[in-house]
Amino acid sequence: MLLLTKLFTQLGAEGFLLGVWETLYMTAISTAVAYCIGLPLGILLCITDKDGVKPIVWLNKIVGFLVNILRSIPFIILMVALIPVSRAIMGTSIGNRAMIFMLIVAAAPYIARMVESSVKEVDKGVVEAARSMGANTFEIVWKVLLPEAKPSLIVGAVISSVTVLGYSAMAGTIAAGGLGSIAVTQARPSNAQDVIWLCVALIVVIVQAIQELGMFLAKKTDKRVRGKNRKKTEKGEQS
Amino acid sequence: MIELIHLEKRYPSQDGEIVALEDIDLKIGDGAIFGIIGLSGAGKSTLVRCINLLERPTSGRVIIDGEDITNVSKKRLLQIRRSVGMIFQGFNLLEQRTVEANVRFPLEIARVPKEEAKARVRELLELVGLSEKARAYPAQLSGGQKQRVAIARALATKPKYLLCDEATSALDPNTTDSILALLKDVNRTLGVTMVIITHEMRVVDSICTDVAVIDNSRIVESGKVADVFSYPQSEIAKELIIPNLIRSVRSAGGKKLRLVFNGDVSDAPVISGLALDCGVAVNILYADTKNIDGRMFGHMVITLPQGEEDAARVKRYLAQKNVSFKEEL
Ligand SMILES: Nc1ncnc2c1ncn2[C@@H]1O[C@H](COP(=O)(O)OP(=O)(O)O)[C@@H](O)[C@H]1O
Ligand SMILES: [Mg+2]
Repeated sequence: MLLLTKLFTQLGAEGFLLGVWETLYMTAISTAVAYCIGLPLGILLCITDKDGVKPIVWLNKIVGFLVNILRSIPFIILMVALIPVSRAIMGTSIGNRAMIFMLIVAAAPYIARMVESSVKEVDKGVVEAARSMGANTFEIVWKVLLPEAKPSLIVGAVISSVTVLGYSAMAGTIAAGGLGSIAVTQARPSNAQDVIWLCVALIVVIVQAIQELGMFLAKKTDKRVRGKNRKKTEKGEQS
Repeated sequence: MIELIHLEKRYPSQDGEIVALEDIDLKIGDGAIFGIIGLSGAGKSTLVRCINLLERPTSGRVIIDGEDITNVSKKRLLQIRRSVGMIFQGFNLLEQRTVEANVRFPLEIARVPKEEAKARVRELLELVGLSEKARAYPAQLSGGQKQRVAIARALATKPKYLLCDEATSALDPNTTDSILALLKDVNRTLGVTMVIITHEMRVVDSICTDVAVIDNSRIVESGKVADVFSYPQSEIAKELIIPNLIRSVRSAGGKKLRLVFNGDVSDAPVISGLALDCGVAVNILYADTKNIDGRMFGHMVITLPQGEEDAARVKRYLAQKNVSFKEEL
């Protein structure tokens, strides 16, 4: 039998479970809030584009520029830069609260671009048909763009949450918790390989679970895919 | 009535401007099935999209039932659009909605009460013969069925006009015929005025009452289908209406005569009559005629005999038989 390190036994099942919980909790809250910001931003980017439903080029340029800046800052540097901002807004610059704030700032522009590209995939012809029926911009967004882009939006949300989960591994640097924190701040200095590998395994399992669940939902909601399958079986039954 | 007055549409581009429409004047009377035919890139889609202002003309006016719609408020424009339905080559159905929800869509936009909308949807699906597909998704339908759904959807708000942009161009010939029959039926029973954009002769041929030929951003000729088809004036119209004729005729030498059958002539054997009665043998260069209820329709091109006298005899014979002809090609 392999000998477990002192840290491993110290943490015990409870320690690891807490890590899993903290990782999930930070990821879920950050992604959810970031989505609430990123979704409208993404829609805005899409519809105000010069080929969009409601072209407002200057607004599109400004928002696009801000999103690009935030997106191009590496997360670890963004964290450092956000320390005073977090202190001002969240009342603290360390711990889970601060971490969640930083994750939201990093993820929102990322999600905005994801949403933008999903919504842009919607067939222009369908939008045109809706316009020909007298739909206004709001109705086009609410009744055409979002429902038609739904499967793709779900896939985007999954990718975003996995990215956020990856970022959350840096929580240790500001004394926030989670599996990343355990691996980097606690296990790494004492070279507790077993702890590191267990953290890695747990993260892989979590990512896989999110991935599977998300893809299942995306597939289930997509009527194009289901349609194809049904048609096949229908034909099969007939012949 | 739809009136287009001096319509012009230019798109800015890197090297100057693209002129998509120029000098368009058109009147589309109530109850008509108005065909607009032209080659790809002629400006057909731009033209039809100007009618409901999906595309704003650079200049000119669009007048629907006396109202200049280029000059109305946004709100009013959205209202007007509900009285002008539109269908497309690509069907443009909402893929994530069922057939019935697609047909319900314009009713939601028009804030029609739920119960009323439900009844209307049922009625429309019955009209297009797709009642049993109400719960299906577009991905489960054939092209023809999708276009039927699109037609039902376009008719949901009881529009007075229906714009069809290449509505049958993605369909096979049989399906095309059934969709055209449906459109004709809608025109006749509901009195919906149709604007049919197409590059296919047979579409105009089979259902349109009027036709305008568009080439290179301009309307080059227009009129009743029978007139334009019998005596196409512009090169492009000839090309579209009798494509093989132009080619086969140009390659042959000598004087030629084009015979036009408008249904005035009964199915008499004109050509053999020429040989028997005038003693002149003619060569048929091209023929595209059909016999409907014992009457002849279509075109035929024959070579005229060399001798003046023989040629005159042929013409006399044709005039006597009530065949209209032209010595032009
Ligand atoms: N949005 C646009 N921007 C620039 N050029 C356009 C645009 N839409 C159409 N055009 C140009 O206008 C001309 C007519 O196009 P269109 O109306 O689509 O022709 P058709 O439907 O007869 O094939 C073409 O030369 C096309 O390239
Ligand atoms: Mg076109």
